[in-house]
Amino acid sequence: MSKKVLIVDDAAFMRMMIKNILLDGGFEIAGEAENGRQAIEIFKKIRPDLVTMDITMPELDGIDAVREIMEIDREAKIIICSAMGQEAMVIDAIQAGAKDFVVKPFKPDRVLAAIKKIFSN
Amino acid sequence: MDNRQYLQMFFDESSEYLQLLNENVLLLEGDPENEEVINAVFRAAHSVKGMSATMGFTKLTDLTHKVENILSKVRNKELHINEEIINLLFAGLDHIKQLIEDIKNNGEEVSDVRDYLNQLDDFLNRDQNSGQASVREVTAQEYDFTSYLSLSEEEQQEIAQKIKEQDAIYNIEVVLDESCLLKNVRGYMILKKAQELGYLAKSYPTLKEIEDEDFGLSIYFILVSSMFTEDMEEILKDIVDVKEVILEPSELTIFPAVKEEEAREDKQKSPKSLANIQVAPTVRVDINKLDLLMNMVGELLINKTRLEGLKISSEIYQDIIQQLDRVTMELHHIVMQIRMVPIGGIFNRFPRMVRDLSKELTKEIELVVEGADTELDRSIIDELGDPLMHLIRNAIDHGIEHPAEREKKGKSSKGTILLNAYQKGSEIIIEVEDDGAGIDPDFITRKALKKGLVTTEEVENMDDKEKLYLIFHPGFSTSEEVTDLSGRGVGMDVVKRVVESLDGQVFIESEQDLGTRFIISLPLTLAITQALMVKIDQEIFAIPLGAISETLMINPNDIRQVRGQDVIVLRDTTIPIVEGSCKLNLNVEYGKYTEREEISVVIITSGERQVGLIVDELLNQQEIVIKSLGNYLVNTKNISGATIVGDGDVALILDVRNIA
Repeated sequence: MSKKVLIVDDAAFMRMMIKNILLDGGFEIAGEAENGRQAIEIFKKIRPDLVTMDITMPELDGIDAVREIMEIDREAKIIICSAMGQEAMVIDAIQAGAKDFVVKPFKPDRVLAAIKKIFSN
Repeated sequence: MDNRQYLQMFFDESSEYLQLLNENVLLLEGDPENEEVINAVFRAAHSVKGMSATMGFTKLTDLTHKVENILSKVRNKELHINEEIINLLFAGLDHIKQLIEDIKNNGEEVSDVRDYLNQLDDFLNRDQNSGQASVREVTAQEYDFTSYLSLSEEEQQEIAQKIKEQDAIYNIEVVLDESCLLKNVRGYMILKKAQELGYLAKSYPTLKEIEDEDFGLSIYFILVSSMFTEDMEEILKDIVDVKEVILEPSELTIFPAVKEEEAREDKQKSPKSLANIQVAPTVRVDINKLDLLMNMVGELLINKTRLEGLKISSEIYQDIIQQLDRVTMELHHIVMQIRMVPIGGIFNRFPRMVRDLSKELTKEIELVVEGADTELDRSIIDELGDPLMHLIRNAIDHGIEHPAEREKKGKSSKGTILLNAYQKGSEIIIEVEDDGAGIDPDFITRKALKKGLVTTEEVENMDDKEKLYLIFHPGFSTSEEVTDLSGRGVGMDVVKRVVESLDGQVFIESEQDLGTRFIISLPLTLAITQALMVKIDQEIFAIPLGAISETLMINPNDIRQVRGQDVIVLRDTTIPIVEGSCKLNLNVEYGKYTEREEISVVIITSGERQVGLIVDELLNQQEIVIKSLGNYLVNTKNISGATIVGDGDVALILDVRNIA
């Protein structure tokens, strides 16, 4: 069965981008959220196999969202979608429990490789 | 990857972000310390950068990246908002907008933004508080682990504390791939992973340094572990972006020391989960689909009306009709709701414009926006942007005087433009009001005469109000010198034309030295409305309910004559009455109504004017779907459209604004 992914990004454009990459990679998109708060709500409901998480978002940023999701499910697999220049924040997110990160602009093979590694461990 | 499919979305969303940026930078100008706003600006700029990079628009990415740098400094309190920064940001936003326009029009980024980028660089360099860069030299590639990392006496002792019998000490170098992005983070993850494998005795760079250190492509560390070397190698190699792992046993031998360990556990308690906030998910829908939906609802409505017309006497039929009525009403209501958007969407453009123009013209102007949450049909809102912009430009350019002049007139030096929207019955009223010089009717007429738009005779019969309305005449532009703002060919006639095409009207109120107010009245929606059906000469006509103030049955004796015009007196107001058949040019003998015992009159209101329309018979009230008459018949006098009635016949809709 294909893995269910929750995509979190405040830009619909980015969500669309990631969505298409993941769909091409054989994943199922279980939900989309445009801020951290929404991500947590949806996470509780659908319990996805993987979350792609943007960092800078209104309402609740990606780092706090990672913290809260890890609180809900210690096994949650979260991959951070970051831009250049956000090193410190990505590290915070990894500390909070994110499994890996990918950097915008996204290269499909990179994104998929990172995700596959997460699932293979 | 073909990005074209994302282009429309990119345009849509980037323009939303631009709007947001403009609004918030403007807010910042007034409230420089507002962190929430700073964060919002930063986020939006960041998102635009991400989108541009993904689409492969390099200039945009560069530009937004630099703008983001400034914002980031502001956010970290390294920079404080001042006028220069605000101007730089606004200029940046304009460039971003220009580049996006370029892409829209030419498919590539044509504009040259180098000057601006240099300007930004200069600014950033100038403002750099000479923060000392701590870049460590990465030396020759000749492989000698100890030149990167060696253990001091103390560190060796520390290892002795941790090491166990079966442990060994390893020197490990992990080499990252050149294409690795965010090396620091990757390095951090590698060291974290190393910590899981054993005791991380020392590393270059250290976990603490790694965030802000440029360390080339290799990370060196000394690990104390009991794992098999192959396993360690495999685990490290499996990390994304790791190109090579060089792992060799250290020459050091350290024996375990006698140790007493205190297990210290730092249990990190995350803050308790926050309040439950329900966020209703939303979808973006193509506006054309909504139009289509509206059309379908219209069709449904027509058929419902036809069904009602059957008047079958059966209980089931009555029941179905009632249900159908309820469902279609609700459906109509919901579709309307979906199509309604707050007018704030276009109002929000103007603060920035007012700011820029007032600076340019060295006028002091405050823009007050009210009723931004007033909702209007989407299709109307889209059209309104330009007319409103024109009115506001006019107010800034021609209306508001220079501060010195204002003071001479005894007004405050700062002028005010009020942009207001509200609902009034089934109409939406939008007002653009300034407290400027007002419009001089005689100046207008002189202009109009000079341009040959009117004759002297015509002018003599005009009152001040009519003179004012000359500015709506095509080809009228009062601007003496054509400035950058108004008077660029787009005149008031365009404003009037657009508003009228939306089935609306424009009014002017102006008083010398006190100011001018433009009032735009628009119907709530264009598609479906309630109407009173009337019969005039055997034909059925629809009169939109919004324009009807009441209906009367009068007696011929009630009719008076004022200057040859038939009038009735209704609650002390004299209202002229006109014959529907005459207005519509129907082929019947006019004036016959006085012979009737009772005359049906519909009182129609348009703006301040009222008129009583004489009809043969009042039929019923019903919802009608407004259909345009098509391009050839669009200017038919006194008819604004058509609708289909119950029996499938076409009924014309009276253009009440013209009749009144």
